[in-house]
Amino acid sequence: MSTFADIIHLLTETPIFFVAIIGLTWGILGGALPGISASITMALVLPFTYTMDPAQAIALLACVYIGAEYGGSIPAILIRTPGTNSSAATVIDGYEMNRQGRAGEALGISLMSGVVGSLFGLAMLILLTEPLSWLALAFTPASYFGLGILGLSVISSMSSGSLLKGLAAAVVGLMISTVGTDPISGVTRFTFDIPDLLGGIEPVLVMVGLFALTELMSQSGSLNTLKLNASIRIKLPSLALMNKLKRSQFIGCILGLFEGLTPGGGGSIAAFMSYNEARRWSKTPQLFGKGSEEGVAAPETANNTVASTAMIPLLSFGIPSSNSTAVLLGGLLMHGLIPGPRLFEQSAQVIDSIYVGSFIAIIAQIGIGILILPACIWLVNRPRYYRSGFIFALILSGIYTLNNSTFDLGIALMLGLVGYLMRMTRFPVLPMILGVVLGHMVESSYRRSLVLSGGDLRIFLEDPISLGLLSLAFIFIFFSLVREFREARKAKLKEVHS
Amino acid sequence: MSIIRMIGKAAISFAAFTLLSSASASAEPATYPVKVVTLVTHSSPGGGSDVFLREMSKYLGKYINATFVVENVQGGSGAKAMARVASAPADGSVFYATTPTYIYTSLMSKPQSTYKDMQPIANLFLDSEVIFTRTDGPYKTLKDVIEHAKNERGRWGAANPASLERQAAEQLKRAAGVNAAIVTHEGGGDMMLNVLNGTLDIGIGEIQELRSQLDAGKITLLATFNPQRIVDKPDVPTVTESGYDVSLVKFRGLAGPKGIPDETAAIWDAAVKQLLEDPDYKKAYSAEVLVPEPIGHKDYPNFVNDFATRTEAFLKSTGAIK
Amino acid sequence: MNKDLLSGVVLMAVAGTYYAWSTQIADSTLSDEIGAGGLPQVLAIILAILGFCLAGRALLSMKLNSATVNEAKDDDDEEDRNAPFPRAVGFLLFGAAYVLLLPLIGYVIATALLIAAIAIYEGAPRTWVVPAAAIGGGVLYWAIFVKLLGVNQPVGSLFQGLFS
Repeated sequence: MSTFADIIHLLTETPIFFVAIIGLTWGILGGALPGISASITMALVLPFTYTMDPAQAIALLACVYIGAEYGGSIPAILIRTPGTNSSAATVIDGYEMNRQGRAGEALGISLMSGVVGSLFGLAMLILLTEPLSWLALAFTPASYFGLGILGLSVISSMSSGSLLKGLAAAVVGLMISTVGTDPISGVTRFTFDIPDLLGGIEPVLVMVGLFALTELMSQSGSLNTLKLNASIRIKLPSLALMNKLKRSQFIGCILGLFEGLTPGGGGSIAAFMSYNEARRWSKTPQLFGKGSEEGVAAPETANNTVASTAMIPLLSFGIPSSNSTAVLLGGLLMHGLIPGPRLFEQSAQVIDSIYVGSFIAIIAQIGIGILILPACIWLVNRPRYYRSGFIFALILSGIYTLNNSTFDLGIALMLGLVGYLMRMTRFPVLPMILGVVLGHMVESSYRRSLVLSGGDLRIFLEDPISLGLLSLAFIFIFFSLVREFREARKAKLKEVHS
Repeated sequence: MSIIRMIGKAAISFAAFTLLSSASASAEPATYPVKVVTLVTHSSPGGGSDVFLREMSKYLGKYINATFVVENVQGGSGAKAMARVASAPADGSVFYATTPTYIYTSLMSKPQSTYKDMQPIANLFLDSEVIFTRTDGPYKTLKDVIEHAKNERGRWGAANPASLERQAAEQLKRAAGVNAAIVTHEGGGDMMLNVLNGTLDIGIGEIQELRSQLDAGKITLLATFNPQRIVDKPDVPTVTESGYDVSLVKFRGLAGPKGIPDETAAIWDAAVKQLLEDPDYKKAYSAEVLVPEPIGHKDYPNFVNDFATRTEAFLKSTGAIK
Repeated sequence: MNKDLLSGVVLMAVAGTYYAWSTQIADSTLSDEIGAGGLPQVLAIILAILGFCLAGRALLSMKLNSATVNEAKDDDDEEDRNAPFPRAVGFLLFGAAYVLLLPLIGYVIATALLIAAIAIYEGAPRTWVVPAAAIGGGVLYWAIFVKLLGVNQPVGSLFQGLFS
């Protein structure tokens, strides 16, 4: 960061202001389209940045990232389709609020929580890059295993009602994650010589299938689903509500910060975990899953925080922690900028413009949100017979762009059927999604750790981070089991009395 | 797990760019049978081969009278890109950026189109595969690392599973007769963290991916798998010089569909030679530590087949393929 | 038939199939001790156990009459919200038709047909609005995806070059 005068200069003299707004708008658009992830949205503008000034080009990409992370929540809330992987957790309570006719409220919360998360992430990026970058280094393969298990431990409390079914769904999710090229030996698994399967089944196909298609199928033919919203107005959270959301946003910020620093997840793990933690620490945990405001705020804060903190390992080590930052790395390399400790000295202007551009984009997000969200609500309130067809076509168009292959469409449709059957037989879908999201990380870090230790399982106890995370996971599992047991007993007692 | 697959929208911007630069060049570019040449890569925008093609296409217009467009066909570690190129017309309008990856994918994943369905046209570069360690770690030479692996147990990292890096690590292990755990990663970044935090003794990867940490002095190169020392790093010995008879070449070139006419291929032979001498391009590729190694269309198929035969033998010996 | 019993049996079948496939994974010395097939086999076994427990529990509760009554009541509220199976699968079949036709007739027409078909399936009044919305939707999505975002959508082998 250079002098204050430089920043004023950047704000007024160069078109960084416009770059930020354009980047943000593009990002929101791409993020809001299902199947077009943050990284694809960024990759799509990448070629246009080649001829731009490096500082502006990188700022543009950073703003696209911010916009895309936010944009994903819009379809998550309105049509039960996460626009990006990391907005999958927002579906749970966001769509529920929408069903209750509170779409404007949910979108307002996700907008403001996104701003809170982004501002926090940006502050961390500007102030604490140096110390935080060393935190990223502290993570060994064993630590990643601990992190993955902690993420999976959420399953035990997400499948309240039937732990057996929750676990079965999670195992099937993990099975889906094993399709493709083995991360350690490189041999192919369950690919049946189909080239489309070599890279595995994208988590987004599972999310779109289980959430969106299942919902469309279940709504088919019925006349009285999804109440029309009387108002298309966006309701920004009041101060009192923001105060109530403080805790869940704080949880989102912290988890988003960590996920941004560590390679692998790209926001979805932080979003799911902060959803779960927010419920754990909430005063009204019973509202989660039934349209809780906190259930929207926590994951939305988390995934927006990641958009800024993922820059920390990128800029300080040149290590992209997600697909999106990998595209940003490409952008830097194209302009002959090599990220790493020396980037801050040699190309201070680029760093400054990332900071300033991100800041403008975050603030502008409020204005753009207020402008476009009413239109989005209006759109999804068209008569259901048109809405279903348009959503269906939108989903299929979006996932086609993943690999330009109709094969992916077939997979998504099949998963839609699976989701429908799961709904009919009352299997929870969230554990399955979590299994797909985390499976790769858990398996590869477990096996990598054992290669390192020569097969000695103590490596997970000797690594302090792994030990801490695993202990936390076991405490969580234990308490959810106790709770499950108590609830089951209560239900039984009631039955006996009645 | 790469997910982006799209047609490089760069077409328009690059077309304009190459036309401009070719107009300003003093030498007359060679006439070429087609107007637009599509260069296909399996890497994502900003990835290794993508950057290589885009850099190259900036200068290529000076020597071949055509517009060059980069197309990213991702998915299946190159399986889709190979299918795209193998089925393209053999008139010199479509080429694929070759790297060892396409040989590995052909052998390991058995896609419909393999390297055998394509015709290698020209090689441009050799990448430098290096062994590196953290600067403040206990190892100063490759000997130290091997000694450690002899006495206790080595922990070596390879950037990708079933890749040239992995093969290099295995061969070094055999040549030195030591016991080392070889940990594969998903890309160089992931492995870099584990080298920096001391989880791994050494990492084996491409020098391009190390540049920022190398510049910052956080890591040190111990040796290169190249047959010769790297021009830019004259004090880094080769692995062979260090006493272990392992050397590898990671090539970068172009291949087209089968049946490209000899005259068209000859245009490339000449153009690649001139291109590698271009002072501006030389500056750009030297900065990326690429070693120029032009191989013409007559010899390149043998070079590639040779590489494939050796790789196949290695993979068979490990049981990875049958 | 009891749904839990059925799903338990299905899960065991899935586990068995998956296990059979996992035995075909190549075994390589490049791999670690666990191997590429290690996790899949563990998962298959766990799923089989879970499926067995689920089916067993369902059988048990079928014997205890009170529990079955309870469950049937729960299923009733759920079914209020969900479309019956044939209707839901019918919806999905339009998607399958779209997937099959897409490479043939191209993105715009396939999208328009999908929107029109779903609208009629879902009971839209059969007026001029249906074709108008369908064509409008096809063109709108084409404008967003192909023109604005610049991603590829199939042109359709029947009309090569018309919408590129």
